Amino acid sequence: MDKLGYEVEKLLHHLEPVGLDGHHLEGTFALSNYTFYLVIALFLTLLFFVFAARKASLVPKGFGNLAETGVEFVRNSIVSDVMGPEGLKYLPFMVTVFFFVLFNNLLGLVPGGLPGTGTVGTTFTWGLFVFLTYNFIGFQKNGIAYLKSFIPSGTPWWLQPLILLLEVVSHLLRPFTLGVRLYANMYAGHIILGVFVIFIKIVFDQITAGGLVVASLSFVMLILMYAFELFVAFIQAYVFTILTAVYISGALHAADH
Amino acid sequence: MEAITPLFPEVLISGAAFIVLFVFIWKFALPPVTKMLDERAEKIRESIEKAEETRIEAERLLEDYKQQMAEARNEATEVIEQGRRVADSMKNDIVAKANEEAAAIVAKAREAIVSEKQAAMAELQASVADISVSVAGKLIGEKLSADDHAKLIERYVAEVGSFNDN
Repeated sequence: MDKLGYEVEKLLHHLEPVGLDGHHLEGTFALSNYTFYLVIALFLTLLFFVFAARKASLVPKGFGNLAETGVEFVRNSIVSDVMGPEGLKYLPFMVTVFFFVLFNNLLGLVPGGLPGTGTVGTTFTWGLFVFLTYNFIGFQKNGIAYLKSFIPSGTPWWLQPLILLLEVVSHLLRPFTLGVRLYANMYAGHIILGVFVIFIKIVFDQITAGGLVVASLSFVMLILMYAFELFVAFIQAYVFTILTAVYISGALHAADH
Repeated sequence: MEAITPLFPEVLISGAAFIVLFVFIWKFALPPVTKMLDERAEKIRESIEKAEETRIEAERLLEDYKQQMAEARNEATEVIEQGRRVADSMKNDIVAKANEEAAAIVAKAREAIVSEKQAAMAELQASVADISVSVAGKLIGEKLSADDHAKLIERYVAEVGSFNDN
């Protein structure tokens, strides 16, 4: 049991954001263990889109088809469905959000890799970007009337300050909820996978008959959880993007409320 | 609680990476892809429309052909019917004319027979008269014995017989 505790401690330590040299990052501009993979994900995403743009042909095939399917998915199933035709203006932003989150999530599943989205430094920042973007769109589209949309029409005057306060707080919480949801999913997924690896490792260090059963079960669970994490990587990219779409759509149509 | 506080270097790098990727996708990567997607959608829409138009045109042509076929069939039937009518009337004419001609021929033949008969009768009468005159002459010219009488009758009969032979 001590060994398990020690290994889990080591895993959690491994998942802490630190500089590549193992030292703390405060006061530096160095890459952390997470942002290192984030930069790799950036290059992979850039490469993906370079190929997508160059391979774009009227009759889709191979790689071009994959990229187009992704872009089409964001365009039709997220942007058009949630925001309507006027949302297409924001397609580049939505595509960036979806694919960057997805590539980062997937990179965390490469053995030895970490998801760039497994740290709050990344997810809060992107949550903040979404917050700034949709509020900017809200003001740009509706002017000062955007603020009025915070209070639903028909609210009694004496309730209005309270509603306004609640609305403002709920808006201010959005970047954090976006950030924490993504971060927690990626971080927790990594811990689960790590724990099953630890089980297998401990058993192989001191082989016993019962231990082999644990190791076999852990191995099966590791594979199952790996598949599940692959699913989570897509789902979380989808959730982050569709919430962004919902927020932007709310800002676009603020005057309707 | 340490892990829940964003680290400034991570904020900076993830923010910068996002902006770089956004600008790249916005300015360079997405326009050709969306343009192509739109073109493809347009092309598919056009193809479907064209196929629909072609189908309608084909149906219209088929209808035309069917109508033309029906018209041609009616016309053919009419031509045959008309031919039959013409042939019938020609046949009737020909038969009527033939009957007329036959009747005329028969009438002419009958006329000819009648006139021949009259001529023959007239000739016979003349011959009988001649013979009577010559018999009378002979009776007047000589005294007839019983023998002469018999010979005369014989000669007469022979003459009449030879006359009949002619």
